[in-house]
Amino acid sequence: MDLTTEMNKRNMPCIMVDIAVTINGSTVSGQSGMTILEVARENGIDIPTLCHRTEFTPIGACRVCVVEVEGSRTLVGSCHTPITEGMVIHTHSPKVLETRRTIVELLLASHSGTCYMCDKANICELRAIAADLDVGFPEFQVRRRYYPIEDDSPYIVRDLTKCILCRRCVWACREVAKKDVFAIGYRGFDSKVVVDSDQPLNKEVCRDCGICIPFCPTGALGKPRKIAEEKEGQLLIVKG
Amino acid sequence: MPEQRVVLKNCGIIDPGQIATYLAADGFKALKKARDVGQEQVIQTIKDSGLRGRGGAGFPCGVKWEMAKDAPGDNKYVICNADEGEVGTFKDRHILSNDPFSLIEGMAIACYAIGARKGYIYLRAEYHYLYDRLLESINQVCEAGFLDGLNIDVYEGAGAYVCGEESALMDSIEGKRGEVRYRPPFPPTKGLWGKPTIINNVETLMNIPWIILHGAEWFCEIGTERSKGTKVFSVSGDVTKPGVYEMVLGSQLRELVEGLAGARAVKAIQVGGATGRIVPHDMMDTPLTFETLLGAGAITVFDETRDIVDIVRQTLEFLAEESCGKCSPCREGTEVMVGILGRFTRGEGSAHDIAAMERLSQAMMLSALCGLGQAAPNPVLDSLQYFRGEYDSRVKG
Repeated sequence: MDLTTEMNKRNMPCIMVDIAVTINGSTVSGQSGMTILEVARENGIDIPTLCHRTEFTPIGACRVCVVEVEGSRTLVGSCHTPITEGMVIHTHSPKVLETRRTIVELLLASHSGTCYMCDKANICELRAIAADLDVGFPEFQVRRRYYPIEDDSPYIVRDLTKCILCRRCVWACREVAKKDVFAIGYRGFDSKVVVDSDQPLNKEVCRDCGICIPFCPTGALGKPRKIAEEKEGQLLIVKG
Repeated sequence: MPEQRVVLKNCGIIDPGQIATYLAADGFKALKKARDVGQEQVIQTIKDSGLRGRGGAGFPCGVKWEMAKDAPGDNKYVICNADEGEVGTFKDRHILSNDPFSLIEGMAIACYAIGARKGYIYLRAEYHYLYDRLLESINQVCEAGFLDGLNIDVYEGAGAYVCGEESALMDSIEGKRGEVRYRPPFPPTKGLWGKPTIINNVETLMNIPWIILHGAEWFCEIGTERSKGTKVFSVSGDVTKPGVYEMVLGSQLRELVEGLAGARAVKAIQVGGATGRIVPHDMMDTPLTFETLLGAGAITVFDETRDIVDIVRQTLEFLAEESCGKCSPCREGTEVMVGILGRFTRGEGSAHDIAAMERLSQAMMLSALCGLGQAAPNPVLDSLQYFRGEYDSRVKG
């Protein structure tokens, strides 16, 4: 931190500097500008993520990747917080795990939960993270967001009832496909990934690039289903 | 400790439409003095004064300014946060309608200190009637030749509570959806359009001219060890004399609520608006400082006829409605809490619900992206702590 500030003061170009941080008791080193998540992954520490993908800039919306940093009042999102010299990080302290579980439980509470009918059930990241964190049937009761399935487009079928608002599709469309078809509409619990001013997705605004489909962690985005097609992916394998 | 007028010194004295009346009340002497002593000295004075942000978070103002001044870049911005969205606050409206010139002078000093050429006043949408008056005041200052090439603009919000949060406010000025950004980078290094930006509350900037004019020592003598100066409070609710009061920091809550505003048979006081703390009547001797409770200075008094659980439910309904929907703990968590509190107001709660709320509160406070989500559980936890009986009596069966 001090070094970076010092460099900023002198208007020096940012050069890679080794920074030592402590993760879960062991001292590791990373380069300046790296996030906590990158350093942890480099050192074989697995932090679960949901909205983060290496293909685009961090979103910081899902909060599943939170870690404890000593001296910080709250937990910090590891996918967007850069490391600073002497940072002491706990990635799997009881406080962190409890918080992650509550967050995943919240996401499951408003998720449609019809896994047995879902095409992506076997490759669903939400399901994998929930299994990994030992989150069972959600204790919280909340209404669900039911939307009609949007199958106007011949390229993408959107079932926003399954959407967990991680925003990966928005970022993928903006930063990977460079199209910017999706945006977020409404606010709070009623937030929704919208096209134009909340029109159903059609082939006029979105062509057949299909880049966003594999980025969706749940079954909210999919290819139009053909008759007699099998479910995608291997059977769900639980890491934990 | 008594009432003391620092921020409100000109309110009711000067004519807000006439710059001449402000000049007669030592107006723009501080700006001249600031330009004489230089940037470094201005920031040092603000740092020495111990002035902390009046918007609720209480971040040391001088430190923020220094960070912005030291950040590289030619384009820097000063934003005055006049998006007074917190429930039960109306102090900024009082200030803006009675003494806009002090605010403009404060902004001009801030712009000079960090080297900014552009300032924005982010005006709350509901204060639209002040828009023309503010522009007129800025014009008068400009014509009097005090701005010296500096451009101050008024930007109107679109009515979102979350846009009072600094990063959402910047998104809003940039023309985007008003949503919270993650930090770091902090605004003093990377703010509006990626440039160094300082965002100060109206009241913070109102303090600046007098600190510059009278010096840091003078300011340090007011208030407590860590909370210097005065604070303007908006008192409303079950009181006989609601209104705007300025008190020395460290004054007791009782003095303000019972002494000045004339409240009787108080049951609870909500300090700091929707995301603030709920204080029961037997804790009214608490001093008002940044360390204890303060928030943005909203004081809402509830007398013995009010139902605490219903107040908390309405507060959470408001927060759920105003959540931007970006981070999952806040978006989903507030909605779950509204559901649980709704069951309690209907007398259908369960002991299980209380435990769930406590667990959820903990997760939200630790993991939400901005102050809204982190502080949303405050009313729930405070009411559970001090008014547990009201919840228990509504548990079904």
